[in-house]
Amino acid sequence: MHFKTLLKVSCFILLCLFTMPAMAQNTVTGKVTDSKDGSPIPGVSILVKGTSNGTVTDVNGNFKLSAPSSGALVVTYIGYDRKEVPIGSSPMNISLNANATQLNEVAVVSIGYGTTRKKDLTGAVENITSKSFNQGAIINPIDQLAGKVAGLVITQPGGDPNQTASIRLRGQSSLSGGQSPLFVVDGVVLDDPRQFQDIPADDIASYDVLKDASAAAIYGARGINGVIIVTTKKGAAGKTTINYDGLAGEQTQSKYYDLLTPSEYRTTIQQLYPTALTTVDKGGNTDWQKAITRTAYSQRHTVSLSGGTNTSNFIASANYSNQQGIVLNTGKEQLGLRFSGEAKAIDDKLDIHAGLQNVSTTSKLVDYSIFSYMYNSPPTYPIRNADGSFYSYSDFNLANPVEHIDDDYARQYDYLTLINGSADYSITNALKIGVLGVLTRDNTQTHVFLPSLEGSVNQAGDAQGNVNSYKGNIHITYDKTFGKSTLNVFAGYEYNDYLTNNFVAKGQQYITPQELDNNLGAGNSLFNQIGSYADEYNLISYIGRVSYNYDNRLYLTGTMRNDGSSKVGVNDQRQWFPSLSAAYRFKKDLLANVDWIDDMKIRAGYGVTGDEDAINPYTTLGLIGVVGQYYDASTGYYPSAYSTIQNENPNLKWETKQGRNVGLDFSLFNSRVTGEINYFNDKTTNLLYSYGVPTPPFFTNTILANVGSMTNKGIEVALNVQIVNKSKFRWNISGQLSTVDTKITSLNGTIFYAGKTYQLNSSQIPVGYAQGRGLSSNPITFLKPGYSPYVFYLPHYTGTDAQGNQTFDGQTITQNPTPAGHYIDPAPKFNYGFTNNLDYGNWSLNFAFRGVYGQKIFNNTLLDVETVTRLPGNNVTKEALTNGIKDAPVASDLWLEGASFLRLDNATLSYSFKNVSFANTLRVFVSGNNLFVITKYRGLDPEVKTENAAGGNILFGQNLNGSNNSAYIDANYGGQAYYPRVRAFSIGVNVSLK
Amino acid sequence: MKRKKLMIAVGTMILTLGIVQSCTKLDKKVYSVVPTADFYQTPDQIAAGVAPAYVALQPIPDGNVMQMNEITSDEIVVPTRGNDWYDGGQWQSLWLHKYKPDVFVDGGWSDLNNGIGKINFTLNILNSLTNKPANIANVVAELKVLRAYFIFEFMDMFGNVPLVTDYNVDPSKVTQSTRAQVYAFLDTELSTNIPLLTNTVDKTTYGRVTQYFGYMLQAKLYMNAQVYTGTAQWAKAITALNQVISSGKYALQPNYFDNFSVSNDGSTENIFVVPADKVHITATNSWEMQTLHYSNNLTYGLTGQPWNGFCSTADVYNKYDASDVRRTQFLIGQQYAADGVTPLTDPQANLPVIFTPIVSTISDPSGAFRMAGVRNIKYHPEAGTAGGQSNDMVIFRLADAYLMLAEASMHTGDNATALAMVNKVRERAGVADWTMADLTMPSLLDERSRELMWEGWRRNDLIRFEVATGTHYFSGPRTPAKTDDGDQHAFIFPIPAPELLTNPNLHQNPGY
Repeated sequence: MHFKTLLKVSCFILLCLFTMPAMAQNTVTGKVTDSKDGSPIPGVSILVKGTSNGTVTDVNGNFKLSAPSSGALVVTYIGYDRKEVPIGSSPMNISLNANATQLNEVAVVSIGYGTTRKKDLTGAVENITSKSFNQGAIINPIDQLAGKVAGLVITQPGGDPNQTASIRLRGQSSLSGGQSPLFVVDGVVLDDPRQFQDIPADDIASYDVLKDASAAAIYGARGINGVIIVTTKKGAAGKTTINYDGLAGEQTQSKYYDLLTPSEYRTTIQQLYPTALTTVDKGGNTDWQKAITRTAYSQRHTVSLSGGTNTSNFIASANYSNQQGIVLNTGKEQLGLRFSGEAKAIDDKLDIHAGLQNVSTTSKLVDYSIFSYMYNSPPTYPIRNADGSFYSYSDFNLANPVEHIDDDYARQYDYLTLINGSADYSITNALKIGVLGVLTRDNTQTHVFLPSLEGSVNQAGDAQGNVNSYKGNIHITYDKTFGKSTLNVFAGYEYNDYLTNNFVAKGQQYITPQELDNNLGAGNSLFNQIGSYADEYNLISYIGRVSYNYDNRLYLTGTMRNDGSSKVGVNDQRQWFPSLSAAYRFKKDLLANVDWIDDMKIRAGYGVTGDEDAINPYTTLGLIGVVGQYYDASTGYYPSAYSTIQNENPNLKWETKQGRNVGLDFSLFNSRVTGEINYFNDKTTNLLYSYGVPTPPFFTNTILANVGSMTNKGIEVALNVQIVNKSKFRWNISGQLSTVDTKITSLNGTIFYAGKTYQLNSSQIPVGYAQGRGLSSNPITFLKPGYSPYVFYLPHYTGTDAQGNQTFDGQTITQNPTPAGHYIDPAPKFNYGFTNNLDYGNWSLNFAFRGVYGQKIFNNTLLDVETVTRLPGNNVTKEALTNGIKDAPVASDLWLEGASFLRLDNATLSYSFKNVSFANTLRVFVSGNNLFVITKYRGLDPEVKTENAAGGNILFGQNLNGSNNSAYIDANYGGQAYYPRVRAFSIGVNVSLK
Repeated sequence: MKRKKLMIAVGTMILTLGIVQSCTKLDKKVYSVVPTADFYQTPDQIAAGVAPAYVALQPIPDGNVMQMNEITSDEIVVPTRGNDWYDGGQWQSLWLHKYKPDVFVDGGWSDLNNGIGKINFTLNILNSLTNKPANIANVVAELKVLRAYFIFEFMDMFGNVPLVTDYNVDPSKVTQSTRAQVYAFLDTELSTNIPLLTNTVDKTTYGRVTQYFGYMLQAKLYMNAQVYTGTAQWAKAITALNQVISSGKYALQPNYFDNFSVSNDGSTENIFVVPADKVHITATNSWEMQTLHYSNNLTYGLTGQPWNGFCSTADVYNKYDASDVRRTQFLIGQQYAADGVTPLTDPQANLPVIFTPIVSTISDPSGAFRMAGVRNIKYHPEAGTAGGQSNDMVIFRLADAYLMLAEASMHTGDNATALAMVNKVRERAGVADWTMADLTMPSLLDERSRELMWEGWRRNDLIRFEVATGTHYFSGPRTPAKTDDGDQHAFIFPIPAPELLTNPNLHQNPGY
């Protein structure tokens, strides 16, 4: 209250000062707001046209000045179109249209260890602010970006709220390591990209995507997959504001397989296996696909308090979200608290910042084997008996999925804490020195109890894992302008220490199952198992960057990073990662007379980045470990046997990418058309892979080595067009398209082993397997030089013979049990996305499409399910009755389907109330996600997981879901399963209270 | 004042230097694994370091090696049953002798070489110990003879194999040896090391290499000398076998099945077993899963459903007389739940589970075919398991020694000994003694099959008999679907494709 009074008094004094010389004139009052969301704009300059008489708006966007009764006000604010308004009756409501180019002039972009103006960028960096985010129901905050950034492909692996998204920037650069870009949140590198999904979506203000190697090279040995820099919302000087963002929605499964209905199933069995009907018809009428799912409800609430003075600011927020999974008894609940504060001292020379983030996540995990039970169960089985108990049954890969969902208990609790603090001191105006410290604690606890169903023994287990890190840096910056030249220099030293440990205990055969996993020692002590593990590594780096800018026309940036890691081989633990980039804005020089071109910039960059994700802390060492138990005849016990478990490789080092990028940025027709084009050509060498080696003389049959290389080439085009730009109606389209051509160029090379040179050769490495009954040991995707990763090698289906036996290149399986394959490249030709924004008065509609062209997916689900050989014991698709195939399933190109698609990712209709007494902004919206997909792919969804997913049950091996190996291969309901994707509708509100 | 400032400056510098040093050092602290150099320091560690040689044996008697030796023979067939057991054609290709370098065969190669590699490494370490244990010579001999078993199987299966016996070999200099060269190596290795082994046979040497293991291995080597070198060594085989038989340490177990039961560690007949245990050593024995029908879990109280795979045909089953106790190792006819009354049904085919010995085709999608083939429960299923049974698995046993002695004696003209040996085995089986007229090579081969059914020796036996007699026991046609191989290239497996890739010095075996 006191603060508010103070503000009012100062405003009054200010007004008095301005109004004194012009007492005779009228007093005009009014308010300036953003035309899009109606939010007030503080600091807007208001000038009576043709005079020097003016004022600026206060924190609530209000202004008051004396002016003649006729004439006009000139309203200007950086980032918005200039506006002239005839003076009317007070209060005047003036809304300003945001101007993208003008924003670009001032927009500040994070480039890692610092920021720059967007127009000064020399690398391929894309900046996306919250106004452009996808809205509505999102599982991972990164979904906000899906389809928005050329070259960034974000794939949700399905509808499981506990799974992590697959994120790829400019294709694949590694065969063994994670593919996710590095995440940097407010200057803090996340230890694991998965931690990003614990950052509440509503806390995020903007993303900066460092796409090319010259931009990512500042992160050196961790930059190979690009970098996504996340900036969270900050407090601002002015009145303390309270914001509330709320969302409630419902989700349903977006697509089902066309399995036989109970009556169709009965008819079919009657026709094909008349005697079997009595056995398989248990009187049930069950749609098992629907039986295990529900309409799921979700909600998300964020309350934040922010404010500040000229020398300090803060934001504190609390976030709660609860997302049910569409599969019964699954879901995710999250509570997050965040504080960020900044204060200046010693004549504003010292700038201190402190941040704290704490997120608790509770996950109810799904047992992925239920999906195979679901597809296998006959629709004539009931879910429950007449007395309400579950109808239990069992056969190979067959059980009541609803019973399993109901009785299996699998919870995961994740506690993530990020603490960071920094202090920067200005020695002179140009020279600053600072320190940063970061502490990360990530604790994951897993609790599992699997009851005794279908004659199995019950099992229980607990696991506990910690990933902790200590990080810090010391940095110096020097920023100086000499005439038309500007120089920015950054130098830093960085220290990172990572510690991991985990502990697991499990047992079985509990006679008091109601205790779940809370009394692990009570089972059959013979089967008690314990285990633990710990490791540590550190990364110590020196970082430098020099940026030079002449007259805002010529730009030159050079970076140099030296990384040292204890993970890599002891023979050489340090490596340089340099980059050089330049840009030239040639509008002024060459296009000065071309009116329709506002600005044009050409960029070129070269950089070196690295990757150590595939290297574990002790991979390079020769290690002794437990290789099993043996029978000790003298005692009758079973002690552990120890032997070598790993070939040592003291020369192991980083995978290294040399990236080249050229780009063009442009702004045309008074900023109505803006965009950029990038071409990149990257080459990764020293590719890490566990290559096969002969045993003996090697200890074990693989060695992780730097052999092989691959290339990534592509073009990215991004365009933003302001089609209509009237004050009442505005229509904006932004779109992007990207291609990436990834090829493995070599899998051969030499390593030094035990003092000798040894040649490693791999002509092709099997990675992905078709799976299902009778489909063991069936590799279908390969790493092969000359092809993109995970190229298919499949027999060519040529129809059936008269008996319904499939033929492959004309021969049945009996004629040739192992038919030869053909190579088929499944990689997409291009990815694209486009977003429409329509504003009409207070209404706003935006919808975002996203698509992929030319990709192929192996429909392993249908390979397993679309076959009459499953009858009568298992259900089949309708197509199985008509496709004419009578023999056992064989993985062939019949099941490799085109999976191009166009998806309406998100559509949001919102209404912004203006002049609300209690709120600065008040916006309500309805939003839909995954509203439709146009595709020929016959699976549940044309986007399948392409990466190891977290979640699942780490204790008993039911984490069947995904790995790199399953790229382009759909779920198979034997080994790997798919949690169906959802369609979501939600309503929400954003309010900023006065 | 100045001095104070100076002291502060120097102090700060020292402090800074100290910090800088600790902040630039890349430290590799190791917590839950041990660098090689830090192991083999205590007697317990040495004992645990020798044990991996035995751990490497665990997958041998019921894994890839056994499957490659049995499914290529007449004893086990794995037909494709509807959806099940096609598996990229690997099972059919074994039976049909259409094996290819890129399908399946690398499993056997890897399992055997894992053993050889582990032992090479351990021998290298033992030799370099500064404080060697007192019994180092015996330990080294034990490891070398065990390695000889792995190398024997390796050479027997793949023919021209790389013979790597020194851990310090340059990987790029490894080339193939001929069968005769490997034979010569094994001959010397065994003769040199057997005397250094223990001849104690009791609880303390159970599952460990003894002199008698050495002699049995030597006998196998000599029995097949003609296959490996072109020159038969029957007399040498007889000498080795007599070392076992006349030692008096072993006797036929009165009940044939006691050699294979869940608690078979009391068998007086088993010379060498790979111990298994449902808790501690689960990698060894999953017999029950491979052969039994899905619904048979209800018969034997298994905690998971078996896989309905391995079976035998009528040709095999009909070798037995009805009175032969060994015939009961096969399940035939209607199967029942544990109560012995409730008939089992196949819910998917909706048919009763009635095993028939008729396997007329190698692939059939019909429901009835799921019950084709008789199933083997020689190693009796263990209630409360789903694979990972506790029955220790037999590599060498006395009955095999008797039958080998009979065979070698026939080749050297001592038919009286041969007949005596065979009849010992037959009497235990409850079938009539043979007369001298019954003693023929074909009938002896059949007797070996009846006695050693599914024990991993059949491929070796068929090839030896084929080489000795010229009859196409191994390469000839058999039901279902197998035609004559046309030549003898299938006697040895192809060099697996991944091995050719990792070692460019290797050349593919002829015929592949």
